[in-house]
Amino acid sequence: MKVIVDFDLCEANAVCMATAPEIFRVDDNDMLHILIEHPGENLRKKLEEAVRLCPRQAISIGKD
Amino acid sequence: MRMDQINLLDLDAFATRGFPHDAFATLRREAPVYRHPEPNGTGFWVISKHADVMHVSKHPFVFSSMQGINLQAIAPEELPMIQTMMLGMDPPRHSKYRRLVSGGFTPRTISRLEPHIRQIARRIVEEIAHKGECEFVKEVAAELPLQVIAEFLGVPDEERGRIFDLSNRLIGFDDPEFQTSPEDGKIAATEMWLYANQLASARRVSPREDIVSLLVNAEVEGEKLSEMEFNNFFLLLAVAGNETTRNLISGGMLALLQHPRELHRLQSDRSLLPTAVEEMLRWVTPVAHFRRTATEATEIRGQRIAAGERVVMFYPSANRDEDVFSDPQRFDIGRTPNDHLSFGIGEHFCLGSQLARLEIRIMFEELLRQLSEIELAGPVRRLRSNFINGIKSMPVRFSLD
Repeated sequence: MKVIVDFDLCEANAVCMATAPEIFRVDDNDMLHILIEHPGENLRKKLEEAVRLCPRQAISIGKD
Repeated sequence: MRMDQINLLDLDAFATRGFPHDAFATLRREAPVYRHPEPNGTGFWVISKHADVMHVSKHPFVFSSMQGINLQAIAPEELPMIQTMMLGMDPPRHSKYRRLVSGGFTPRTISRLEPHIRQIARRIVEEIAHKGECEFVKEVAAELPLQVIAEFLGVPDEERGRIFDLSNRLIGFDDPEFQTSPEDGKIAATEMWLYANQLASARRVSPREDIVSLLVNAEVEGEKLSEMEFNNFFLLLAVAGNETTRNLISGGMLALLQHPRELHRLQSDRSLLPTAVEEMLRWVTPVAHFRRTATEATEIRGQRIAAGERVVMFYPSANRDEDVFSDPQRFDIGRTPNDHLSFGIGEHFCLGSQLARLEIRIMFEELLRQLSEIELAGPVRRLRSNFINGIKSMPVRFSLD
């Protein structure tokens, strides 16, 4: 699976970082960094939670 | 409570008994997508489940904000006005407007306000501390958001009381104490716009590093904001930044006073403040509803919704959903996780959420630092509204710490 972020929607709420810190990091300049662009299946649940909870609905999961 | 006893249009009941959580427990269980009748209207769908509030919020093309965002039907001639406010826009237009201001509300930008917010909060508490008692809403809860948003908007000190009064008249449209009639609400809106215009003119002549200066020079799709668009932005920021946070601080204080063990727990362990703030947000839910309108035939949880029908999300109900929160009727300042929907989710997710959280945390830090043995000193008077869960006055007494 591939992590897709719409950076036009992202407002640095960092709920994704709280939910899946292995994949998402929001730095002190409000920039979101995708740490793992193609996470393994072991991170699917966390990634799906991040998708569900992102306040701006900026995250989606694509195919590799 | 029986289904036929449920009347969400009985505003006096909201004033005397607060938000009808028992009615919503019944609705969640027996009719999670419920057609509520209206004496002089077609009726509206009541959405009471967390998952469904999320679903409606996440599909702005199906559930539009352009036909009005309160549960009452809107006369067609009033729609253009509503559609010049961000709250009444859909994507893609909404998204463009939001991007104009969103940079001013990110965590980093907001965190710069922390020293200033703390200074204001400290002063507010100092001013009441020696008195032993106060009217909490006017003297504590209302002051901080008013000062902060006024600072943010560049409103001078001497004009802040006026913004406070105008904001009350705009939002308190069902409460005779704040607004005597819908006409009064319109007059208040007009006064707010006149004020916004004055401020805009001043900032065009000498721009500053503030949100008004940013807005008067902003462009959306190559065009500058019209006068009406700017005025409504200003109105939205002035009202949204005032009412809601004020009601959270009052409601949060009330929750602590009604749950003394939680108050004591917080006093003893200030590291619980961030989770306490989230639990206050869940418990109080200052915005009780927002409405959307179906743009096409659709369905929610198996219930068919026709195009044009009003779909009303009730956030306090979503925030007590048994499928999401364990022991939801318990006020627990350590509650984790706490996926409340008090700020909404998706396209219209509250732009001020980080600012609100910061203000609330600092306000309670200062209250708990300076005061102890806080208790209610008289009756709590609630706002007569099914839109805003508000407290009009709340006398409290306390000693110095």
